Amino acid sequence: MKTRYSVQIGARIAILLAAIGLTVPATAGQSDDTLVVALAKPLTTVDRLYSVQREGLIVSRLTDDGLFFVDPDTLEFVPLAAESYEWVTDTELDVTLRDGIAFHDGSTLTAEDVVYTFEWVLNEDSDTSRGPVIRSWLESVEKTGPLEVRFNLKLPYPMALRDMAVSIPLRKKGTYSDGGPDSGGQVLNGIGPYRVTDFSAGRDIVLERFGDYYEASPKVNPAIANIKFRVIADQGTQQAELLSGGIDLMMGVAPDVADNVQYLPNVARLEGNDIRIGYITLDAAGFSDPDTPFTNRKVRRAVNHAINREEITKYLMRGSAEVVDFACHPRQFGCNGEGPRYEFDPEKARKLLTEAGYPDGFSFKLWAYREKIIAEAIVSDLREVGLDVDLRFVKLNVFSKVRNDKDMEAFFASYGSGGTADASASTGVHFAANSARNYTGDEALAKRVLAAEQTINPDRRKRLYREALNRIADQAYWVPMFSYSQNYLLSPELEFPVPKDGVPRLWQASWRE
Amino acid sequence: MLNYVMRRGFMALLVALTVSFGTFALFHFATDPAQTIAGEDAPQEMVDDIREQYGFDRPLSAQYFSWLGGVLRGDFGESFFWKQPVVELIKDHVGVTVTLALSSLSVTMLIALPLGIGAALRPNSWMDRFALSTAVSAQAIPNFWLGLMLIILFAVTFPIFPVSGDATWRHFVMPAFVLGASSVPAVMRLTRTGLLDVLASDYIRTARAKGFIGYRLVLQQALRNAMLPIVSVLAVQLGYKLGGSVVTESVFSMNGLGRLAVESIFNSDIPTVQSLILIFVMTFVVLTLAADLINAWLDPRIRMG
Repeated sequence: MKTRYSVQIGARIAILLAAIGLTVPATAGQSDDTLVVALAKPLTTVDRLYSVQREGLIVSRLTDDGLFFVDPDTLEFVPLAAESYEWVTDTELDVTLRDGIAFHDGSTLTAEDVVYTFEWVLNEDSDTSRGPVIRSWLESVEKTGPLEVRFNLKLPYPMALRDMAVSIPLRKKGTYSDGGPDSGGQVLNGIGPYRVTDFSAGRDIVLERFGDYYEASPKVNPAIANIKFRVIADQGTQQAELLSGGIDLMMGVAPDVADNVQYLPNVARLEGNDIRIGYITLDAAGFSDPDTPFTNRKVRRAVNHAINREEITKYLMRGSAEVVDFACHPRQFGCNGEGPRYEFDPEKARKLLTEAGYPDGFSFKLWAYREKIIAEAIVSDLREVGLDVDLRFVKLNVFSKVRNDKDMEAFFASYGSGGTADASASTGVHFAANSARNYTGDEALAKRVLAAEQTINPDRRKRLYREALNRIADQAYWVPMFSYSQNYLLSPELEFPVPKDGVPRLWQASWRE
Repeated sequence: MLNYVMRRGFMALLVALTVSFGTFALFHFATDPAQTIAGEDAPQEMVDDIREQYGFDRPLSAQYFSWLGGVLRGDFGESFFWKQPVVELIKDHVGVTVTLALSSLSVTMLIALPLGIGAALRPNSWMDRFALSTAVSAQAIPNFWLGLMLIILFAVTFPIFPVSGDATWRHFVMPAFVLGASSVPAVMRLTRTGLLDVLASDYIRTARAKGFIGYRLVLQQALRNAMLPIVSVLAVQLGYKLGGSVVTESVFSMNGLGRLAVESIFNSDIPTVQSLILIFVMTFVVLTLAADLINAWLDPRIRMG
């Protein structure tokens, strides 16, 4: 009797659940040809001209094209919406556009649109995120034919193609006639292989394949029809969504998490290179305290010898992370230093500290905001040679404030160079005279870095960067640590080539047969 | 009563202003909003441009009073991060938080009140022990852990509810339970002890003598008086849920005010943080005031002064 009663109750519950349809429909995957990607941070706009976020760069590679393009294989800057280009002089660049490129609204790209886009960025009232950088090198843009444009530069600037490839998506003339973009619910009119069908700031971004995308593009014919980005800040929640089929791809996974989760059913793992590097900056100029021991080169060299970068890289960063010896990523153009390399040698570190007048070591604060486990390993190594290190692990906004106030004796940080495979993207930011990140006080070095940024000739650039990097290494201004390894967790149905620069190109994704 | 309400309102305003200035000053001393807005890898030119564009180079007092002046005119300013009016941003997020808060409060009441009443009616019985052990468990389990366990069980192992988001009522079931469960111990215990006290009082003995028995006695005679402290606690709990459902909203990736507050703090989005703090403070004050008024309605002795 009891059994029959239980069966009845069970059956009723089952019928009730079925009736109200409590099972959750799958929202991602091959069945509806929709790739669902988790974003850890909300996007405020899908307009790359108004976004500095890395997530914005990933989305814009789908929705937008610039004149140039970062080749995924070589990481060089090659024509995209441009058919060809020619440096007329060091400060004059002529670009010819491809014919028949369509915007998502159906109109055709013309030279006027290109001129409009760049003039809008140059206009201080436009308040684009790109303005400050572009205005530093671009004087004007002029139409020289229906599909021809001339760029007049203020000075020789070899990274012009990079900025056009990474930062300046092309816009239809008149796009911003009523001011900047409306961050809520705007519809983006780009020329990329996907068009935005739905966007609300901080929530989902829905894209569909653009049928009239131009045949000449290397991004033509993407395999997946729809891509959806879902903002899920918590990595644990992202994992649960991946396991339950709510998403197909999560990015930027910590190595230990990836190690564990990859063995669960319905999960595959990919890992690959990233242009991002980790480093420690030492206050060689004595900004934080004129008497800081870090003004002494022997102390800075001792710190370099004290840290076991090989083991930290091998056991903590893992994957394809590699030790770096100079202030740039080895894959970047110009990253060709020859200066001293500092092998792990605690004995030598102690000897150098003694020679510098610190036989019993000294106390200092090491600031950090990410990869706490790495920062702790660094602290541990430094304590081994007698340095009393107080780790100040803080949030990025606090870290930035203290660093920009030049109030840190030493800090562990990282830099992604915006995925740019050129040393200028790293050295310029860290060693230019006006940079808040520059703790060297070395004016000669700053001049050399600036000269490299304003030189078109590749050989001369290489020479200037070599000199700059050697100087940085010789003076031990930094402790260059490692390059990063990117971990992705994804649905086994999904195929996705791992990028060489850490910036995923989702137009290359496809479903497994 | 009017004087009382006005006095409380004035104090609330004072508290809100003090907190908002403190927050504002802390942000400026502890963080660099220009660098945060520009992003981790931004070049110096961009950071300097933003500093000038947003007026961070102006004196601190000028920046604060400019914001306060706007608030007094009903203009809460524009979000540095989202680039839209803070009022619009709050309107966009408040629905999720209110829905979550009210549904979780319902969960609390549905679990805590019957358990508390049952425990009080049968002290030291299995019912009482069950209720107390439920309360202890609910208190011991952290929100985020319960959230993750529910996700693993009801979204991954048995895919009944969605893992995250706030698009449908299904998305609210697990977060409402998680948030509601955290308030169960306090409300359950208060119900039990309050009801035990009332049931031992003289007027209940008189009511019993007059023939009131069972649930009629409990619901009509005892519970009304036992509700006084419970109403106050529920008001405070609702305030917490409206202002502080940060963990739950983050775990379940819901676009409510709690998550907005966290994102705004990490992004040094000062106008949004200050406006949210103002709203959270005022919410607490209004809710505690409302609880006092309900108590006055429930108990004539409070009205009499």
